[in-house]
Formats: sequence, structure tokens, C-alpha cells
Amino acid sequence: MAFYEVYSHPVLIRYKASVCTSATVFLVVVVCLTYISPLLVAFRSQGFWIQRNTYEEQAVVRFQYETLLVVATGANGDHVAWSTFPHLNNMLGEKLRIPAVSVREEDQNQDGKLDRLIFQMQLPLKDEENVYSVQLLLIFSYQLFTKSTVVMQSLAYMQHSSPVPGAKLFISGDLRLQQRTPLPHRGLFNIYNVSVIDGSSPFASAYDLDNIVRRYQERNLTTVLSCPIPVWTTGRAARSPFQLIAEIHYPVEVISYYPGFWETIKFAWIQYVSILLIFLWVFERIQTFVFQNQVLTTVPITTGKPHQQ
Amino acid sequence: MSVISSLVPARFLTIIAHLVIVITIFWTREYNVKACLPLEFTQEQYNSEDLKLVVALSVTLGLFAIELAGFFSGVSMFNGSQGLLSTGAHASGSVALVFFLFEQWDCAVYWWILAFCSALPALMEILLLIAVFGLSKKPL
Repeated sequence: MAFYEVYSHPVLIRYKASVCTSATVFLVVVVCLTYISPLLVAFRSQGFWIQRNTYEEQAVVRFQYETLLVVATGANGDHVAWSTFPHLNNMLGEKLRIPAVSVREEDQNQDGKLDRLIFQMQLPLKDEENVYSVQLLLIFSYQLFTKSTVVMQSLAYMQHSSPVPGAKLFISGDLRLQQRTPLPHRGLFNIYNVSVIDGSSPFASAYDLDNIVRRYQERNLTTVLSCPIPVWTTGRAARSPFQLIAEIHYPVEVISYYPGFWETIKFAWIQYVSILLIFLWVFERIQTFVFQNQVLTTVPITTGKPHQQ
Repeated sequence: MSVISSLVPARFLTIIAHLVIVITIFWTREYNVKACLPLEFTQEQYNSEDLKLVVALSVTLGLFAIELAGFFSGVSMFNGSQGLLSTGAHASGSVALVFFLFEQWDCAVYWWILAFCSALPALMEILLLIAVFGLSKKPL
């Protein structure tokens, strides 16, 4: 009948020596090299401590029904304006022109978060007036929930100007998030939950576009309307209003954040242990060779029953 | 005898590997010298750094000569601890010098590599030579 291996088990051999021997020095050197070298290798090859990480989320965006519109009606600087702030409308006087506005927000994929804003506006104009440029500010509330809870008031500013007078401006774009610094990984982040335009202020400086944009851009977290292709249609018929149609999508954003302590430790540990395994194997082979062949003198002690006569 | 059949060739191979890399660095030391200098440097600075690296490499070659003399003369060929120390030091020296060459490390690092991976085994070799030839002990 054929001869095969039925069973096997390892036998443990302990090598003992006193403290003041070369074997101890060797052991100390080997232990240092085994446990410190993987740390050096992992550290020097960059990326040991992750400094920043990203995740994806679609924000909960709601239009706040606050708007500011400035339209230039002549090449010499004449303009008309309209807003949802009563103090500003009072200050505008003759330059106030009230458009017909219809706004609708849609949730296209029925996931409970709104996906699109459709803003349509028709501005009545006198026959001799021509529209050369449009500046529109829309105020939104922007909320993120997955990592830290971010609640802020944000702005979409769109502007288009043309040397030819226009009849219609069509804008279709995304409301993109701009971060100067990564977000924290947990907690409430609501320092920007203040209104972008202070509607209760009776001073004209509060509604100056320069001041609004300057204060808004001081923030580290802003939204911006990214619209690469505005469509300016010319040839307005007499007595017909100027039409502005804006479709603003709320896309899924890739957001960067500072990882927390445990996430950082987890990735560092993965890197360290995966290199440590190699060093453990290599030095185990070296130690087996050294002690089995008595390169350094130690006393081997086997655990097994000696043969009985 | 399996110790001798493995340790002696291992020691020889690691010494020769270390030697080859030192000679390679000798011939292509320009990039390493430039890595020690700031972005804007004068020719005198280059020459002085170059001279320092040449001195370090020459000292390394001298220490190699001492160790190979002890090894080939049989004084330390069959000494287990010296064999182990020499193999370990020269192996880690070879790895460190490969990094020195390819990653263009700073010149100051070379002195540390020299101290631990060339000077230490050469020092033990000198002690063994003194013990055998000076104090007339048996080699091993």
C-alpha cells in the first residue's frame, strides 16, 4: 500500500541564554529592526497620516425666495432694478421695475432632496429701453448632513452683458460648492448661517453688489453658479418684456474633509502591519538560522518526551 | 558544518555587494553632491562638497580593505559573531546606499551609513586581528 503523511505537528525548541551574552545583543538588534523598520518604510514612502479625504453627497438646497436684479437699459449707465427687500425697493424710486416671476423647485428622482430650480422672469420695458446687461443674485439655504452638519446661506450670482441689446437670457448651470479648507468630520458647522444680504438694513451700502460679493467671498465655504454657456437672444419685439430663464441644478458634490482620529489611525495601522508581516517573516528565518546552527551560543531546550528504555 | 557553508558565502556576497555600490557612487557622485547643495551654488561650494564625499568614499574603501584582509587571511572567516555582524552591517549598508543613490539623499546621511555599516565591522575586524596576531589567541 502507498506510504503517505497522516498527520504532522510542530515541535517547540526554546533557546535560553543569560542576559549578558551576544545572543541578547543580537535579540535587541533584531527586535528593533523588526518593529521600527516598517514604520520608517511606511513613513518615508509618503501618505502615512492621511491629511484629507473626500466623500460624495448631494446637499439639501432650498431657494430662499430672496432675489436682487439689476438690468442695464442703456449704454450710458441707465439701469433698472428690483429685489425682494422692501428697504431697497423704497430706495430705488424711479429705477424700480417690477417683473413677473415664477419659481419652481423640482425633485426629479424622488429621493426627498430637490434637484433643480427653474426661475422664470419677465421684465416689462419701455419701447426705447434696451437690455445690455443683467446681474442676478439668488439666495439659497445649503445643508449637508453626512459627515459634519453644515447649515449655511449661500449665493448664486449670475451676470451677462452684451454689446447688442437682448430679448432673452437663458442660463442653465450647476450650483457648485467651493471649499478653501476641508470641512471637519463631525459636529455642527453653522458659522455661515447668516443672511448674505441683510434685508432689514435701511442703508444703501448693505445692497451694494461690491460689498455683498466682497463679504461673501471672505467665507471659506461658498457656492457658485457654474454656467459655461449662457444663451443671449437678441431682437426684442416692441412692447414685449425681457425674459430671463434660469435653470439651476443641485448636483452631487465631492466634498473634502479632515479625517478624524480613528480613521487616520486605521489607515496608518493598515500600512504598518502590512509591511511588518514581511519583516517578521524575514527576521524569523534569520533568527531560526542563527539559533538552530548555534552561530551565537545558547542552550536549546526541546519540549518532548525523551525515549524511555 | 551547515553554518559555515551558509554564513561564509553570505558574508562574502554582502561585502562585495556593498563594495560594488560604493564604487558606483564614486563614479556617479555628481547628482548626490548636487543634492547636498542649495539651488544656487558656486563652484567653490560644489568643489568642497565633492571633496568631502570623495574623502568619505575613500575612507569606506580603506575600511573594506581592512575587513577583506581579515576575512581572506582566515582570522575571522570562521568566527560566528563576526560573520553575523559583518553580514548584517554590509547588507543594511547596501540597502541604505541604494536608497542614497536613487533617492539622492543628503550627503550628511553618508557619514551615518559609513559609521554603522562600514566602520563597525572594520573595528571588530581590527580587534580580532590584534587578538590573533598581537595576543596570539586562536582564530575562531
